[in-house]
Amino acid sequence: MKKINIVSFSILAVFPFLIALVALVSITYGTKDISAMTVWQAMAAFDPSNVDHQIIRTGRIPRVAAVLLVGAFLAVAGAVMQGITRNYLASPSLMGVNDGSAFVITLAIVFFPGLPNYQMILLSMLGSALGAGIVFGFGSLIRNGLSPVRLAIIGTVIGTFLSSIATAIAMYFQVSQTVSAWYNTKVHMVDMDMLILSIPFGLTGLVLALLSAKAITITSLGEDIAMGLGQKTKAVRIISMLAVVCLTGTAVALVGKIAFVGLVIPHITRFLVGVDYRYIIPCAAVIGAFFLALCDVLSRYVNYPFETPIGVLTALVGVPFFLYLVRKHGGEKRA
Amino acid sequence: MLILLILLASYLHITNGVFDMSVMDVIKTLLRIEANPKFDLVIFEFRLPRIVIAGLVGIGLGLAGVVLQGITRNGLADPGILGINAGAGAAVVIFMFFFQLKLVSADMSSWLSILMMPLFGFIGGAIAAILIFSFALKNGHLDMQRLILTGIAINSGFGALSLFLSLKMSAQDFESAAIWMAGSIYNANWIFALTMLPWLLVLGMYVYRKSHLLDYFQLEEDSITSLGIAVEKEKMKLLLASVGLVSACVSVSGSIGFIGLMAPHIAKQLVGIQHRFVMPVSALIGAALLILADFIGKTVFAPSELAVGIVVSIIGIPYFLYLLVKSKA
Repeated sequence: MKKINIVSFSILAVFPFLIALVALVSITYGTKDISAMTVWQAMAAFDPSNVDHQIIRTGRIPRVAAVLLVGAFLAVAGAVMQGITRNYLASPSLMGVNDGSAFVITLAIVFFPGLPNYQMILLSMLGSALGAGIVFGFGSLIRNGLSPVRLAIIGTVIGTFLSSIATAIAMYFQVSQTVSAWYNTKVHMVDMDMLILSIPFGLTGLVLALLSAKAITITSLGEDIAMGLGQKTKAVRIISMLAVVCLTGTAVALVGKIAFVGLVIPHITRFLVGVDYRYIIPCAAVIGAFFLALCDVLSRYVNYPFETPIGVLTALVGVPFFLYLVRKHGGEKRA
Repeated sequence: MLILLILLASYLHITNGVFDMSVMDVIKTLLRIEANPKFDLVIFEFRLPRIVIAGLVGIGLGLAGVVLQGITRNGLADPGILGINAGAGAAVVIFMFFFQLKLVSADMSSWLSILMMPLFGFIGGAIAAILIFSFALKNGHLDMQRLILTGIAINSGFGALSLFLSLKMSAQDFESAAIWMAGSIYNANWIFALTMLPWLLVLGMYVYRKSHLLDYFQLEEDSITSLGIAVEKEKMKLLLASVGLVSACVSVSGSIGFIGLMAPHIAKQLVGIQHRFVMPVSALIGAALLILADFIGKTVFAPSELAVGIVVSIIGIPYFLYLLVKSKA
């Protein structure tokens, strides 16, 4: 482990440039193309009466910032989940974490309308914890329930259940529209206040993930080895689940449910940098940010001039990848 | 007994709604005593076709569920969970996209295109089924967990495809496409009922005649072959028949999951494991469940309506989890 991991350092060195590039593309191109010069002016010398400047400041920049953050959050959340459960299919969207957030937010909109944004983020995190709690609780109730394939089935089914109930509640109290504005993917209408608020919450999650990275690596080698090395497995699990909850809760609160990023990116990262989570976590963050920003740019061009939901693009990559994983690994435990 | 249950559900369904009616009114209208044009409209144009379609879809899904569970020897198989629904749904959306079918205002002039829809659904469902089985087949054996997981993936893949296409549609087409994705029957009319009836009759008869085969399939692979049955061929035929049934249902009502899961299990608890009996009972249970679910969806949430597919999920998922707990790992 002492050897410096060259691949991960080059990833960490190269991807910021790629991210900057895709961010620039994302800001300059769109339904209305804006020159890079104007973008610079909008940043340096903001002119409120200039429509282009307004578009950049209130539309394009928050949007690209949000997808970058969410991409990083979801990828890290997925990596942590996969490492800690040794389940190669673990990811926020498959394990009902996303749906838990959406469920609690629905309840909040119905019963406590007009909550301030930071409370919404907290509730969203609470929901993530609830979703994950139900899924893993149920998984440990049944025999072999924590095996990758079974847990994925349980997660999807419970996720569907939570979102069905949320739909029913929203329908009954006639707030469907408000609710769907909350948790359907909404990269094109990111709320600036929410964006700023989400940074501390998300960073907390990232820091927690980084702090527990070494312990996750050990856990991912297997329960016996971890115990043998004197690891406090329970404490590690709690801290890393807290990180997942922070990251996913913030991501859902910011842009809604986006599937497959948290599943695919950790696998790609592990393939590139190996099994050490001290490298995996930061690399997953940058690759995830780049990937989602790229999907976001593409989503504007697939059906130009109309936007395609970003989830369609992540599914395009995610579904074949998912099938490949299931075919290759079946029921074995590894991550 | 079951028929009584269906009648009870239909009774609830027909008398309640945004416009409440007394039983006497309904009977009078149905038997043409003191016909009242207002009641005629509500009953014959809105409620009756809806009940009939809910019943027919329930029958189709109940039958397809029995067949799928029989050939996969997997108690958790269901057309919705396996992704066959999603495949058929996506094909129907593609069809609507290219033919600009105005289903919201369906009338006799679009007769032909409505007749075509189950066919398209069938192609999509068959593609989904082939995909699922080719991925889940491992050394010639169907692995149940892979089957479900592949179904989940196929579901979200076809779901994304449908969403993408439906967003390219005109507003009116989008509305009808949205119905397919949610699984709902609120725009039921008689044309739909007539379209799916032949599929249901022909394929229903076919699978019923083959029900003894499903009994054999529960045996070990070797012993079936020694009985002189071309196992793979028969399985394929039955699979296609059930895809046909599902497609006819999906082209009318959209994707409704879990009926095909619940009905066969309840039926087996009632009448044992012989498919000769399980099949009709499961069909009737499916019908009763769906009529009841549609009734819940339209009354509990009045004046808005909850898609019947969501009601069925809320009831069906706990049942699925219960089965998962019970089944051996």
